[in-house]
Amino acid sequence: MSNSHDHDHKAAPMVDEVSDFEALEVAVRELCIEKGLFTQADHNEWTEYMHTLGPTPAARLVAKAWLDEDYKQLCIDDPVKASLEVGINWITSMPSNFGTPSDYCNPRILVDTPNLKHVVVCTLCSCYPRPILGQSPEWYRTPNYRRRMVRWPRQVLSEFGLQLPEDVEIRVADSNQKTRYVVMPVRPEGTDGWTEDQLSEIVTRDCLIGVAMPRADRKADDKRPVIPAIHPYGH
Amino acid sequence: MTKPIPLLEKIGKEGRVWGDLCEQYGVDNPDPPWRVFLESTCEVLNEGSCVLPALERRDEEDELVDELYKHIPHPERQVLALAHSMILRGIITEKDLEKHLKTVTERLNAA
Repeated sequence: MSNSHDHDHKAAPMVDEVSDFEALEVAVRELCIEKGLFTQADHNEWTEYMHTLGPTPAARLVAKAWLDEDYKQLCIDDPVKASLEVGINWITSMPSNFGTPSDYCNPRILVDTPNLKHVVVCTLCSCYPRPILGQSPEWYRTPNYRRRMVRWPRQVLSEFGLQLPEDVEIRVADSNQKTRYVVMPVRPEGTDGWTEDQLSEIVTRDCLIGVAMPRADRKADDKRPVIPAIHPYGH
Repeated sequence: MTKPIPLLEKIGKEGRVWGDLCEQYGVDNPDPPWRVFLESTCEVLNEGSCVLPALERRDEEDELVDELYKHIPHPERQVLALAHSMILRGIITEKDLEKHLKTVTERLNAA
């Protein structure tokens, strides 16, 4: 039996230091358990579930819809059923087995056209379609993005590098505890004949939130600056 | 105006954030490994016991960040805000947290 596979492999660098923030996270969690607010098993179950989350299923859903008009219609009519085909059960996949107040099972797919661009925000907090898109990026949580996107979407999208012509209508979907939105962007040029696998690679997280458009030559989301609010929410 | 909590204020000032650690150690993970545990803690506090409902926690996090933790990045600010909210509600005390934090730090740094 060969065991040569691990000898030439160089391990990825790791942070070899415990920060005060890391220790704080552990301390808070352990105190909660000690006080009986939840059990370690409850926590483990959620952590395992969280580890399964990411943008891949939503990207796959969009790629499938680009290739199959019937599936695209299903995405519009019954997103819960359409999600099953990419391995996401909004109702039973969560540890609670019935969705959660923060991941309620009422997803909606917003279909872009050449003259209509959707973008998602949560003005109240940071509601996000986690079961199918994973954890929200930092900028999505900021009061600045949340406050300004609903007022000046064209300006905010341009800050993301997305310059839209004046004749393209922008619709901002405001998420809430009941409803979560995913954007289905327009299939880009230069992708004729591509397979579902190829197409799903270019549907990045930002495309699914609506702040970017898929491109045949782009597979990853760029790092976004987080701009602090000048006039913070509630003040 | 929200009153600062000295223990959390100290961590906010002296703690090393993930971005700095990544730079020093040549790591490019966007999130610290403990972020997933923090998210799970927030979920179970919301879900099972409803000790800290998600919307209430997020509203308070926004306020606390704006008033006290503005210059600290996410998710470091989230863990500070969570601890702050729990102390404000008397779910845990600053004294208990300080004591347990010391134990945890020693344990995690044990050779």
